[in-house]
Amino acid sequence: MHDEPLLNVSNLTVDLLTAKAAVRPVDGVSYTVRQGECLAIVGESGSGKTVMNFAPLGLMPTGVTTNLSGSVRFDGRELIGLPESEIRKVRGKSIGFIFQDPMSALNPVRRVGRQIAEMAELHLKMTPRAAEERALELIKLVGISDPAARLRQFPHELSGGLRQRIVIAIALAGEPKLLIADEPTTALDVTVQAQILRLLKDLQRRLNMAMVLITHDMGVVAGAADNIVVMYAARAAERGPVDKVLVTPRHPYTRGLINAIPRREDPIGSEFRGLPGIPPTLGAPFKGCAFAPRCELAIPACTASRPPLARSADSAVVVACAVVNQRKAAA
Amino acid sequence: MNRLKPAFARLNKLPRVALIVIGLFLALGSFAPWLAPQDPSAQNLLETGLGPTAAHWLGTDHLGRDTLSRLIIAANTSLVSVGSVLIIAMTVGVAMGTIAGYHRGWVDDLLMRIVDVGLSIPSLITALAVIGIVGPGYWTMVLALSLAWWPMSGRISRAVAVSIMSKPHIEALRVLGASPWRIYFGHLLPGTIGAVMVYATADAGTAALAVATLSFLGLGIQPPTPEWGQMLVDALPYLESDPRQVILPGLALTAAVIGFNILGESIALNRIPKPLSRRTLALRRIEVAGWAKENSDA
Amino acid sequence: MIHFISKRLRHSLVLLFMASLVCFTLVVSAPGNVAVLIAELRGAVATPGYVEKVAEEIGLHKPLLMRYAGWLGDAVRGDFGISYRTGQEVSADLPKRMLVTGTLIVGSAVVATLLGLALGFLGAFWPYRLPDRVSRGLALLGASTPTFFVGALMIYGFSVTFQLFPSFGFGGPESWVLPWVTVAVLPAAVLSRVVRVGLEEAMASPFVLTAKSKGLGRTAILFRDALPNIIPVFINALGTQVGLMTATAIIVEPLFAWQGVGDYFLQGVKFRDFMVVQACLLIFLAFFIVVNLIVDLAVLMTDPRVRRQWS
Ligand SMILES: Nc1ncnc2c1ncn2[C@@H]1O[C@H](COP(=O)(O)OP(=O)(O)O)[C@@H](O)[C@H]1O
Ligand code: SF4
Ligand SMILES: [Mg+2]
Repeated sequence: MHDEPLLNVSNLTVDLLTAKAAVRPVDGVSYTVRQGECLAIVGESGSGKTVMNFAPLGLMPTGVTTNLSGSVRFDGRELIGLPESEIRKVRGKSIGFIFQDPMSALNPVRRVGRQIAEMAELHLKMTPRAAEERALELIKLVGISDPAARLRQFPHELSGGLRQRIVIAIALAGEPKLLIADEPTTALDVTVQAQILRLLKDLQRRLNMAMVLITHDMGVVAGAADNIVVMYAARAAERGPVDKVLVTPRHPYTRGLINAIPRREDPIGSEFRGLPGIPPTLGAPFKGCAFAPRCELAIPACTASRPPLARSADSAVVVACAVVNQRKAAA
Repeated sequence: MNRLKPAFARLNKLPRVALIVIGLFLALGSFAPWLAPQDPSAQNLLETGLGPTAAHWLGTDHLGRDTLSRLIIAANTSLVSVGSVLIIAMTVGVAMGTIAGYHRGWVDDLLMRIVDVGLSIPSLITALAVIGIVGPGYWTMVLALSLAWWPMSGRISRAVAVSIMSKPHIEALRVLGASPWRIYFGHLLPGTIGAVMVYATADAGTAALAVATLSFLGLGIQPPTPEWGQMLVDALPYLESDPRQVILPGLALTAAVIGFNILGESIALNRIPKPLSRRTLALRRIEVAGWAKENSDA
Repeated sequence: MIHFISKRLRHSLVLLFMASLVCFTLVVSAPGNVAVLIAELRGAVATPGYVEKVAEEIGLHKPLLMRYAGWLGDAVRGDFGISYRTGQEVSADLPKRMLVTGTLIVGSAVVATLLGLALGFLGAFWPYRLPDRVSRGLALLGASTPTFFVGALMIYGFSVTFQLFPSFGFGGPESWVLPWVTVAVLPAAVLSRVVRVGLEEAMASPFVLTAKSKGLGRTAILFRDALPNIIPVFINALGTQVGLMTATAIIVEPLFAWQGVGDYFLQGVKFRDFMVVQACLLIFLAFFIVVNLIVDLAVLMTDPRVRRQWS
């Protein structure tokens, strides 16, 4: 089975049970990531991207109970149904995580050097001394100048970009096979965003890691990812190789997203061509297509039943749209 | 009737135990004279230090007075004095806090500085200092405790007042030319009083403790009016021979305070996320199970 | 850092000055003629002549400012005047009394810290499980039981029933146990909640998600990530509780027949001995100010965020 992808998610459904309500933020999503590949997961905020990636690995906040079904195979091992003590061994060691907000992701009262070094102690069984050395190496690796001094600083003494680099250093410290980056640039200044993205891409290639890059910004995807999953309201709308999906988007939602990317030829001050309408608030799963209220192509059949993901004209791309798939069948 | 609904909904979320204990305390305190089986100050020197009998369910004290009756009347003493203290302290505190929150500027600075000083000195010491200067007595005690208590409600009402004043609809009222009186009495004051009442109720336990402590020290409620702290200190010399007379008033007071403290804690802890209770979890599971069916039907 | 400390010290001095003003004003504003009161307290018939003599003696005729300056000057040198009641120097046995109260507060603070940490961690280790419920129940009980009742129960349990510890007088260490525990019950209860709730809040913050993503276990996260975050909060709460112990001392010292400052203050209040009330009040206020100063410095040492503001 040496051909099996590093990460194989199939038909994953996540239910979150909270004191106020039950929601299904992930509803039957499938995708794979091979070693050395980068998968982009794109969707508006609230579409379930974070939950989809974090819930199977036990990274949900207190106050929420998680119900998982479907399958998440990582490195030949089924994660769903594994006890927390086993999943914990996967976190940090085999999978590194990067969070959206580097301001709050680091412990404010501990030196950043310790926060990196403890990873090396835990996963590479290093002595504290050796771990400090390793932290220094890592901090150089993520491109921080004056590394020795930085190690002794506290998070609030660093800028957002530097903090995100520290978070990346932490994620890399266990020498993971897979990096999950949850909107790693959203909370940063525009000028820093490109740097961090380039750093991530570069590290991924050099260390030959697989990467899941979560973003709500189609513009980020083009140069960075090999494959793409477009999420809308807990479900995958379209999935396929980036070059194909970006060039010929089929699902009306994907088209809307790509249309919304600002273009160079736009006159300055021209109107933002965002999608009309707002994404639905999640709760119980939708009957029919969740995008119907905002969709120009919607027909009555769209709301009757959930459109299945089906191969489009290009067999590498799958699309969950009744109208698009009907046309293909007709052709 | 409709206005009461949100109040009931809020009550429903509070811990049941606390509401029961507080309700019991309020009922006992309000109807004490009718509930007490005997005259609490009737002495009978032939029946001192008795254990429980048919006539005296909880026995008698060293002067032969019926302990049960005295415990019940003491609830009334406690309720009345705690109520007076809280009402006076809250009136002063809300007045100061809303004025500070309405005017801001130097009035605010000055009042809040006073509040800070008041809060940094333990209330017992403030109260004792006042009693030491003015001399003991019922109203001295009430005033002394009010003096120690108002800074708390002052600070809370100032915070509430500031947040109310910064709401857009107040700004709109101002622009529309509403008079300061209308803003103050129509909007600021009612909103602040509502919020402060909640905290004041939760703080009533501490006030009850303070009344009992002053009485224990001989500087609060004076005999023959029964009060729990005073009953306890009266019985202390007979601790070895008759511990019951010490323990009963102590337990009564502790129970009342526990009620208020549970209430206070539940208010303070509201914002921390907790794991779901078994009941909610089951409810949510049923909800989710319903979805699966819906989807497979489709 | 030096800048902060010097600024903070100056602030404390101003507060001390204000405290002295409060003490003085309080006594000056006493209703009624103090001279008559003193004359009566001394057991004499308050004839106008005698009252006049008393007024002269305590300097009632001098202008207020002069009286304040004189009193403050003396107080700084440790002279708190003559007790109205006994005619003795107020300061005569103050050092001894301060030692007694100091022993009470320091010992109780240690007991409260240990108990509070133990109970708080018990709850944090097994949140919402049996140990947590027990810890929460004990804290509720401890915070709701009046201190004088705790003292009475201690005496009844450990001195009357099982004769383990003496309940009377300030003697050797075994005579300290019951008062220490009595004073410590309430602060321990409060501190245990501070620890438990603080840890829980810290465990709900985003950096704990990072810690989890590193593969750390709950215990490791509790000690490495959550604990350092609550230390400044704990120090603050401990400071408040130690300040409150002065009030508790007023209750507990008479109960165990300790002759401390609390006991002295209570007697001053009971017999309206203004000079004693004034002196003890000033000592208490000075104590609060010093405790606050120490707390601020300790927080400065343990919280890098605060440290940065001042460096
Ligand atoms: N801690 C939580 N408690 C309750 N609901 C949550 C929680 N986290 C996520 N959700 C639900 O899951 C949905 C998807 O959230 P998320 O995965 O964070 O979206 P995204 O990462 O795409 O912005 C949210 O709209 C919300 O309804
Ligand atoms: S299924 Fe219908 S509503 Fe949904 S995207 Fe396709 S056309 Fe639009
Ligand atoms: Mg997200």
